[in-house]
Amino acid sequence: MSDRYGAITGAGGRIVCISVDSPLRNAALINKLKLPFPLLSDPDRSGAIEPYGAADTTDKRNIARPATFVIAPDREVVFSAMSRDYADRTQEEAAVAALVELDLSPTTAEPLDIGPAEPGPSAMIVETMEAYFRGAMYAVRAMTGRHPSVADDAADFIAQMNRYVKLSKELSEDG
Amino acid sequence: MQAHDFTLLDQNGIHWTLSEHLDTARIVVFLRGDW
Repeated sequence: MSDRYGAITGAGGRIVCISVDSPLRNAALINKLKLPFPLLSDPDRSGAIEPYGAADTTDKRNIARPATFVIAPDREVVFSAMSRDYADRTQEEAAVAALVELDLSPTTAEPLDIGPAEPGPSAMIVETMEAYFRGAMYAVRAMTGRHPSVADDAADFIAQMNRYVKLSKELSEDG
Repeated sequence: MQAHDFTLLDQNGIHWTLSEHLDTARIVVFLRGDW
């Protein structure tokens, strides 16, 4: 969603992300992806992941599943979307549309200080991300040829991978 | 529906509370984690 942040702040919104990872790993992810918003740590999932129903109960690593909520300044939830799994799109366009509906004054990105950072042992480096997303896209395209019944889901996934390929390339070129 | 309030550590290990950051709307995004 970072590539849509201008539209989000222009509509009076800001982003905060949450995962089970430690602050050190989150700082590394912000640095790697040049994220313009904070990333919070909920290691035992009790603070927000479980209360928001975003715990992935099928993954042994006790992580969150992708989910998006839009919360108005009066704390009303005006939009929510829960992914079925990591292949689902996170309905970012619909979230931004819900934000626009609030008709708020524009805001700006908040200052973001990044302290010490330490990527996890399995963290992907920027230089490999483009090839990774491109490979995922081609694999799904091939599988769709074998299983036409998943064409709609596959088209969404391929569109998402295309966007990630572009973003990965930009990140890599930015150094 | 009112959003559940929460306090978690940010990327610098500093407490971050949702209700203290609603001077704007907030898009709360849950991620699978480090990759």
